[in-house]
Amino acid sequence: MSILDDAKEKWTGTINEVTIGATKQDGGTRTSVVTVGGAGALPFMNFEGPTPRAPVVAMEIWDREPDDWAQPLVDAFGPVLKSPADWARKCVEEFGAEMLCLKLAGTHPDFGDATPAQAAEVVKSVLKAVGVPLIIWGCDHDEKDNEVLPRCSQAAAGERCLLGAVKEDNYKTLVASCLADGHTILGLSPIDINIAKQINILVSEMGLPLNRIVMYPTTGALGYGIEYAHSIQERGRLAALSGDKIMSLPVLCMVGSEAWRTKEAKASQQENPAWGDEKTRGIYWEIGTASTFLQAGSDILVMRHPAAVAAIRKTISELMVK
Amino acid sequence: MKTHSITFLPDNITIQAAAGKSVLDAAVAAGLAVNSVCGGDGVCGKCRVIVKSGKVTAKPNMFLDRREIQRGMALACQTFIDGDVTIDVPFESRVGGVPQLATEDAIRYGSISDWVGEGALFPHNPLFQKIYLDLPKPTISDCICDQERLYREIRRSRDIPIMQTGLAVLQRLPDILRQCDWKVTALLGCRGGTVEVVDVEAGDTSASNLGVALDLGTTTVVAHLVDLTTSKTLATKAKYNSQITFGDDVISRIMYGATPERRTQLRDVVVNDINDLIAGLVVDAKVKLNDVCMVACAGNTTMIHLLCALNPANIRKDPYIPAVCCPPVIRAAEVGIKINSRGLLATLPSVASYVGGDVVADVLVSGMMRSPDLSLLIDLGTNGELVLGNSDWLVCCSASAGPSFEGGGITCGMRATNGAIEHIQLGRNGDIVQCNVVGGSKPLGLCGSGLIDAVGELLKAGCIDRRGRFDPAACGGRLREGDSGGQEFLLFPSALTALGRDLVLTEADINNLIHSKGSIYMAMECLLDHVGMSFDDLQHVYIAGGFGNYLKIDQGIRIGLLPDLDPAKFKYIGNGSVQGAKMALLSQEALKNVQDQIAGAMTYLELSTNHKYMNEYSSCLFLPHTNIEKFPSLMPAPQKQTDAAVAR
Repeated sequence: MSILDDAKEKWTGTINEVTIGATKQDGGTRTSVVTVGGAGALPFMNFEGPTPRAPVVAMEIWDREPDDWAQPLVDAFGPVLKSPADWARKCVEEFGAEMLCLKLAGTHPDFGDATPAQAAEVVKSVLKAVGVPLIIWGCDHDEKDNEVLPRCSQAAAGERCLLGAVKEDNYKTLVASCLADGHTILGLSPIDINIAKQINILVSEMGLPLNRIVMYPTTGALGYGIEYAHSIQERGRLAALSGDKIMSLPVLCMVGSEAWRTKEAKASQQENPAWGDEKTRGIYWEIGTASTFLQAGSDILVMRHPAAVAAIRKTISELMVK
Repeated sequence: MKTHSITFLPDNITIQAAAGKSVLDAAVAAGLAVNSVCGGDGVCGKCRVIVKSGKVTAKPNMFLDRREIQRGMALACQTFIDGDVTIDVPFESRVGGVPQLATEDAIRYGSISDWVGEGALFPHNPLFQKIYLDLPKPTISDCICDQERLYREIRRSRDIPIMQTGLAVLQRLPDILRQCDWKVTALLGCRGGTVEVVDVEAGDTSASNLGVALDLGTTTVVAHLVDLTTSKTLATKAKYNSQITFGDDVISRIMYGATPERRTQLRDVVVNDINDLIAGLVVDAKVKLNDVCMVACAGNTTMIHLLCALNPANIRKDPYIPAVCCPPVIRAAEVGIKINSRGLLATLPSVASYVGGDVVADVLVSGMMRSPDLSLLIDLGTNGELVLGNSDWLVCCSASAGPSFEGGGITCGMRATNGAIEHIQLGRNGDIVQCNVVGGSKPLGLCGSGLIDAVGELLKAGCIDRRGRFDPAACGGRLREGDSGGQEFLLFPSALTALGRDLVLTEADINNLIHSKGSIYMAMECLLDHVGMSFDDLQHVYIAGGFGNYLKIDQGIRIGLLPDLDPAKFKYIGNGSVQGAKMALLSQEALKNVQDQIAGAMTYLELSTNHKYMNEYSSCLFLPHTNIEKFPSLMPAPQKQTDAAVAR
């Protein structure tokens, strides 16, 4: 007989399952789809409840050649960085990516100012090149996104992409596109659990059901507010598991872009000899950031370096062993 | 020093001002009340004037666009005189009009006879009394001094162990007593624990014993003339606090009052207002100013400091310590209030820097400290004050709500005076179904209650989403691009308004209101949480404050300002401040109750360091709230559909 009471938590809520990608059968052209969510307990705590679906890594690709990426990243991909379709193909065929996140960085008015039509062409080319589901991310410039993303949404109609990101003061245009073209949507909130919930409410009140929304509660890299971002994400998950239906949505993390923005990932060995080899430092930084967010309950991790992606996928498969 | 003449239009007042003086300072010197929210720091953009002619130097600012600058528009506080100039002070930049008095109809909760008098809560025992005395003449066997003779006679009818008398009275006493054949009226005023023989008047003047109950608000000053013998209110008056020129809220006034000279200036300005009101009351009631011997004043802590020209600086500095919470009774003339020259001024005690005598007065009037029922009192204003408790305990806090309830920070906002839309009803596409304007004229702007109505109605009509953003599809043709970017909702086109200016509501306006209402709601939750209770435990919710009277409960609930409770639980207490001051004036016991049972018993909760407040504030920045289950009566149908969709 045990002296201590059973300390297991009993959760009442379950995270909604969201499927990204549509095969021919569902009106799309994807050869594979990804379903995330479904958790009935904190991640990997199988003794308390199920984590039925493994978190998914989406590899980040751009519509233009990045000019500020650290050398190890550039080296990892090589010349395909010039062509989004080739880049996508390399991620899937060589690195085994299950999903891609296409960032339309080149549409930003200050960084290329590509037209909506050009962006839509890029989307089409990527969809044609690979069969995995796609996240389509704007350039984080509200007005431009409102012109570009509806065109991309149309171009990808029926493919059930994940479109993002909407904010509480800019969501109507994109939600309308999502509804029309059968996509799912990503709601961005600035590390604030209440605003995260508000976006879910605003989007769902436009008629998009809660099983077509993914939350992006903002990511902070290791050493750059990761504790705060982790705790907000965890609080959101606790609220969801405690029965808050509006918070019961899968969560996405932008690991790669945040981790590779830090000086620790980018600085050369000459600048900081004590920091070690720059070829591996950024990769470790990305792995460290990603593995932290896995524990907070992230369902989709958007990552950059193939080596970091491989390491995290290994971690995930080990954590998923019952 | 070089001076220039400066002429203000349309008043056509010309004064001489030193070169380099700001137009705002000159306007103050000319006796014009110009709007200035920030007190001359150049950050509010409200003191707009038009330079008609002459040379000025203007500091750049971000409030005026090029078109306005070309038209001669300038900010009075950022424009300095360089020569003889003519300045037009437009209507919208003036502190004008008469504030709406809480009418008897609006005071839907009790009257003075319920509180003071026979069979009421407190006995009738005024702070100031006049008693007629027929003194026995001195003889060789009854040879006590004049003062002792007076005291002995007073004590025959009153149980007053300790009395005091000023030298000025003693100097006149022997002559008065003998000139009027020992028939005199003694004027007795309560000063803390003692009674002062304030004066001695010849003959019987006891029939006319008057006092003034004063609500000294940051925005408005309200005065009631009261017959202390009959408890009747003889006349009432209100006006805007002229200190508004030195800042809209207490913080900017505290900042303005940084030097003794400026504090004297602030005091003189408000004392002028008080004197104007009292002079008007006396004329209206056809009584003598000399018969007004007592003023009881309820105001927030800062206003009381400024009335007494006390340094308020520490009120806004951590750890927020006022100079005094319970100022002594002083002679009214010491601060310049013109009543009987020996008359007294009493103030209601404060609890803390941001919970003042006005709130204490509200509690007194609500009676919540006498009932076992759990009650919540809300005083809505720039600073929202909340009190929770019952006959055993009281907890209070203050929430900085911002000026939107007073029409501040709102594009077409205004105070609740003539021309203000106080209620509005909208239909489909935001079309106006009904609109009430104070004074019945064409609308000029939106006051707090009108703003709450407008936002509540826009939400109901689906013209805005729950974050307060417009939905173009639901706004008919009323939505347009504003001058400063962003969308605005046209309520009234210029042809239908009093100033010929379009009356609009912007997303920024709605956002300001959302922040104001959010801070009040969050403060209520924190207060309840602090004592381990919830809204469901509340039996009564009292709404105080001039603005509170005009608030519609259903609209307050719809936008999430008020908790979603049975409307029958809400009660308006009208201007609790002036009513509480009146109760104190009429009953020493009431004042003592205020001091001991209310101000003395209230626990102050500081919200600026409250974790719950910090963590959950953003959940209130939604209409009505992020967690809709807190507002069951407002659960939207689409949400149920969404739930159903998920279930499918």
